[in-house]
This record gives sequence, C-alpha cells and structure tokens, in this order.
Amino acid sequence: MNSKTWMVVSLIITCAVAAFALAEIYAVTKPKIVQQQVDATNSALGQVLPSAKTFNNVIPDSLWYGLDSAGTKVGIVFRSGERGYGGPVPVLVGLDLTGHVVGLRVASAAEGLKETPGLGLKSLEPWFGRQFVGADSTVNLKKYGGQLDAISGATITSNAVTKGVTEGIRKYASHLTP
Amino acid sequence: MSPQQKPSRWSYLTNGIIRENPVLILMIGLCPTLATTTSARDGLGMAAAASFVLILSNVVISLVRKFVQPSIRIPIFIIIISTFVTLIDYVLQAYQPSLYKVLGVFVPLIVVNCIILGRAEAFAYGHGIFDSFLDGLGNSLGFTVLLVTLGSIREFFAAGTIFGATLTPAWYRAAPMLFFIFPPGAFLTIAILKALVIKFKLGKG
Repeated sequence: MNSKTWMVVSLIITCAVAAFALAEIYAVTKPKIVQQQVDATNSALGQVLPSAKTFNNVIPDSLWYGLDSAGTKVGIVFRSGERGYGGPVPVLVGLDLTGHVVGLRVASAAEGLKETPGLGLKSLEPWFGRQFVGADSTVNLKKYGGQLDAISGATITSNAVTKGVTEGIRKYASHLTP
Repeated sequence: MSPQQKPSRWSYLTNGIIRENPVLILMIGLCPTLATTTSARDGLGMAAAASFVLILSNVVISLVRKFVQPSIRIPIFIIIISTFVTLIDYVLQAYQPSLYKVLGVFVPLIVVNCIILGRAEAFAYGHGIFDSFLDGLGNSLGFTVLLVTLGSIREFFAAGTIFGATLTPAWYRAAPMLFFIFPPGAFLTIAILKALVIKFKLGKG
C-alpha cells in the first residue's frame, strides 16, 4: 500500500473505530441518562412541593399538578425562565392551592443556568430560595419596595428569579382550583 | 541536568509540574484556566476532567503513533481526543450524575484545551506508552496545582473563602474584592503568579 492510500485508509479506520465506540457507549448510556433526568426532575418536584406524592405533567416541562396519596390535588409546580444576566434563569416553583409559594429551586449551572460564577450563580444558595416561601404574586426585592434581600452584586439575577415567580403565579393562577 | 544527557523517566513526570508547567511557563491552555478558576472547587473540577482525558489521549496516541502519518496526525489526534471527551460526557451523565452536575459544564471545554493537543503533538507522538503516561500525569499535576492555586486566590479575594471554607472576617465578606471573579482579575492573578515563578527560577540561577 503506498503512503497516500494508507493516509486515507488510516483516517477512515480511525473515524470508524471512534464512531463505533461512540455509538456503543451512546446505546448503553442513553437509557440511563434519560432515567437520571426523570429521577432528577421528580426529586426536584418533590423538593418544591413536599406534600405531593405523585406529579401529573399537565404542560410538558412547564406545569405539574401535585397529587397526594389519595389522588387529591394539593398544589401545582411550574417552571419559568425570566431573562437574567446570561440568559433565562430556570426556576422551579411549588405553589399551594391558595397561590402561595411552598418551595423554590433555581436550576444549577449543569442544568442550564448561565449566570456569573460568584455573583449570579449565588442564586443557587439555599438562603436565597428560602426567602420566597410563603410569597404570593406581589413579592419583590427590597430595592423595588418589597421584602426580599437581593444577592449582592447580582440584582439582575435576583430580579429574574423574582419575576419568574410572580409572572408564573399570574400565568398559572387558573390552574389553582382543586 | 545537561542537555546532552538522555532525559530520565523521573523528569518526564516532573517536567510538567514546574519547569515546563503548561500554563505558567508554556502559556498554553489559558482559555479554560482563566474561565474556570472562579473558585477553588471549580478549578479542581476542570483539572480533574482534563487530566483524565490528557492521560488517556497521551497513552492512546503513543500506542497508535507508528501507524499515523505525519501529514494527517492532527486530524487523527483531534478525533481521538474528542472521542474520549464525548465518552466521558456520556459515562458521567449516566453513572455519576452528582459529579456531572459539578463537572458537566467543563467537559465540552476539554476538546479545545490545547494542553492536550500540545502534549499529543510534542510528546506522545514521539515517545513510548509508559513515558507518555508519565508525561500526561506530570502535566495533569502541573495543570491541577495551577488551577487550584489560581482558583483559591481568586475565591479568597472575591468571596473570602477557599473551597467554601470561610477564612476572612465578616466585614470583609460584606464587601469583598469582586474584581477577582471577573476576567481581568484572572489575568492579573495569573500575571502575578507568572512573575513570581520567573523571579523564583531566576533567583535559583
């Protein structure tokens, strides 16, 4: 085999081996990855609405009804993404049937949060989410006349989370009936 | 060690740590270095993921080097490196979701980390498997030490903590030097580190 032919053949072999390895690994890991994502969503839903035992996905990836063990609706969970500093800030919010926040979870950087590390990324710290417990659609940052502490140096991110909560409560208010 | 002497195995391992530290001395791989060292933990995460790929790709490239013609070596290196990166991405996602949560954002960055291509080109293509493994390990250690140091310094000044452990009084943490978390802070810190290393090396003669 002359060197030009070998050049082409060796490149083809490399690509074929790489493609085969990737395809195999993909086939093996894909079901596990999907399962992990489902588990992660379920555990996140459980965190923001602990009183519910099962969740019924009403609007794909945006709205869930939380049901207790008897099948009675105890609240709703919605996902919203208001514009922050580096893109939408994905938040998962659990509401009871009176429209008050039970739990709030900001998605981590691996789940698509693109805020500045050390500033906007601090929205992941538990104290920030806990402030929203019991809030309704009138909640706001201290800076705008409300009662929430913003993350220092990250007003835009703090505001995106707050708006995500208030806009979401307004948008899904019609789903709060039992 | 005089240049005529055949370099020892030990030097393959230690070269990458200080004397030929990929970031501080060779000034390669600066992009992931500056981007991911906003905290000590993130720096360690990036270093761990990159080290894994660096060692594996060094070994595999050294293994196949006899079959790879010089004119097409770069495409083949890239295919090997990106295959490993994608494999790690899938495996971490499937089996180590909690680790993936921390490292996930860094994994795609490894493909463009020129330390890995640099070691493949400069070392693994011309050396045996075990030597390439040592070289990969040494460079990984050098990269890790630097990233953790840089991350610790920046986290200390910008947040008052290192690895999340509080080390400064409350009055400092109330108004820390946020400058260090931003890209200019990264450039300044790495410039000071480089200046210190040069002074240290020159001082030793």
